[in-house]
Amino acid sequence: MIVKDVVCPFCGCLCDDIEVEVEGDRVVSVCNACELGTTKLMGEKRMKGPILRDGDGWREITYDEAIRYAADMLLSAERPLLYGWSGTHGEAQCVGVHMAELVRGVIDNTSSVCHGPSILAIQEVGHPGCTLGVVKNRADLVIYWGSNPIDAHPRHLSRYTYYADGFFLENAFRDRKVIVVDIRKTETANIADEFVQIKPGGDYAVLSALRALVRGKGETIPRTVSGVTREQLIRVADLCKGAKFGAVYFGLGLTMTPGKYKNIRNAIELVSELSRHTKFTISAMRGHYNVYGSNEVNTWMTGYPFGIDYSRGIAFYNPGETTAVDILARKECDAALIVGSDPAAHFPRRCLDHLADIPVVQLDPYPNATTAFCNVQIPVAVTGIDAEGTAYRMDGVPIRTRKVLSTDYPSDEEILSRMYALMQEERER
Amino acid sequence: MTYLMITGRTVNQGVTVENKTSPEYAEETSTCHMHEFDMLELGLDDRDAILVTGPCGAVVMRAVASREVEMGTVFVPYGPYANHIIDAGTHSTGMPDFKSHEVEIEPTDDEPKTVHKLMEDLGGLAYDR
Ligand code: SF4
Repeated sequence: MIVKDVVCPFCGCLCDDIEVEVEGDRVVSVCNACELGTTKLMGEKRMKGPILRDGDGWREITYDEAIRYAADMLLSAERPLLYGWSGTHGEAQCVGVHMAELVRGVIDNTSSVCHGPSILAIQEVGHPGCTLGVVKNRADLVIYWGSNPIDAHPRHLSRYTYYADGFFLENAFRDRKVIVVDIRKTETANIADEFVQIKPGGDYAVLSALRALVRGKGETIPRTVSGVTREQLIRVADLCKGAKFGAVYFGLGLTMTPGKYKNIRNAIELVSELSRHTKFTISAMRGHYNVYGSNEVNTWMTGYPFGIDYSRGIAFYNPGETTAVDILARKECDAALIVGSDPAAHFPRRCLDHLADIPVVQLDPYPNATTAFCNVQIPVAVTGIDAEGTAYRMDGVPIRTRKVLSTDYPSDEEILSRMYALMQEERER
Repeated sequence: MTYLMITGRTVNQGVTVENKTSPEYAEETSTCHMHEFDMLELGLDDRDAILVTGPCGAVVMRAVASREVEMGTVFVPYGPYANHIIDAGTHSTGMPDFKSHEVEIEPTDDEPKTVHKLMEDLGGLAYDR
């Protein structure tokens, strides 16, 4: 059976034009998706059923037992951490927030280690953004800053920028210029009309230099700024000012480097400076397919986008204190529920030392690095393959992912709702 | 010798990311991309084992020559190997310094560990070895 208009549940592009061929309970071929999406959609090697760590071995248990274990773990913990959430649908994220409130835990999502700093900057100076469709149809200049779409969001270029047609552009491929700013000469840099190579840690200075140029203060710019020549900076500033519609897409090259959210703040302020001359927008290249959704859901439910601490009975937010890496590194939490992410592969080792010491339950379809630290892992259906639910694209547009095949695996929402019901029952007693 | 280690996404890391216990994921995330001249200076051939020491410990990876990095900088795909030596400090932002760690690199005769072994060294228990 061929299923059309499938939504790819891998990266923040959330491509919704995928075609898959299904045979029984397997996807056998994928059309239109990039390599990343194809591999995920065809994915194998799921965990068969819930497992429990039993001393030096693993034992299979039933879903009921696993859900009971998780509920008891969260209820008896004093400071539980509920982390992950970017690899699941919005409906499941909602239940997660309710659970965190009930047990007065901390709920954090993976944006604290990807675009958390971008959100901090946006909280300071706002977000002059727009949807991908606007960029596709209007932008004649696209800047990828510290982001490498060819590796991380392979179809961003073909669906929305470099290779895409634009309604208001006569010959988009010819008229659209691409600037890449990076410390590495990435694959994306190779296709750029202008590649600006910055010395590591120099983003803030280069952004400031461009702001000065756009303001007409060119005389203040030294011969080179963080490895970039004055001539190139002038060329880039002129390209920006001369564009009819410019779009900046920044990645973790800005959020993870020294300066962190101050880099993003500077980039946003450059964009508002440019908007005095022409139209310019800026947006983050969000990684996981629904990491944006975890920010949305958390914000509308708690007022804050990530790192929310309910220990006071009300939502409290203080990045650096209530964020997962810090809580684990300080050995603060005494239980962890992990949903739709793999902290053992992506967190510094000091965090893992603590994960090894506390009870951990994980909801994930696949065995991953975090499995080794679990007391219980509950395999779930994969959103976008055998479960459906809402995800938010990197530009904030909600898209309902589709279920393309049926399996016996329960969805994240189902498991979490059952856990939550047990917990409510227990608390009401 | 001291280098600046940055980490980041690669297509191969993304392709193998849902199968983290596979040898392909281990191979991809334990690869340290270096400038040819830096490798020459350390007497390294492609895929030679190196000991990379960061503020939080050391881990064995394999060096591969890359045109993408400048001299003095090395690139390692996101994953458990780089994180084995990355410090957990976040300067009150929640975000560790994933792209700005100074590391020491030297040749070694040891082999990179498997992801399972790395996790077990930290107190975990491998499931599907
Ligand atoms: S670009 Fe992203 S959403 Fe689109 S097919 Fe590739 S992985 Fe999937």
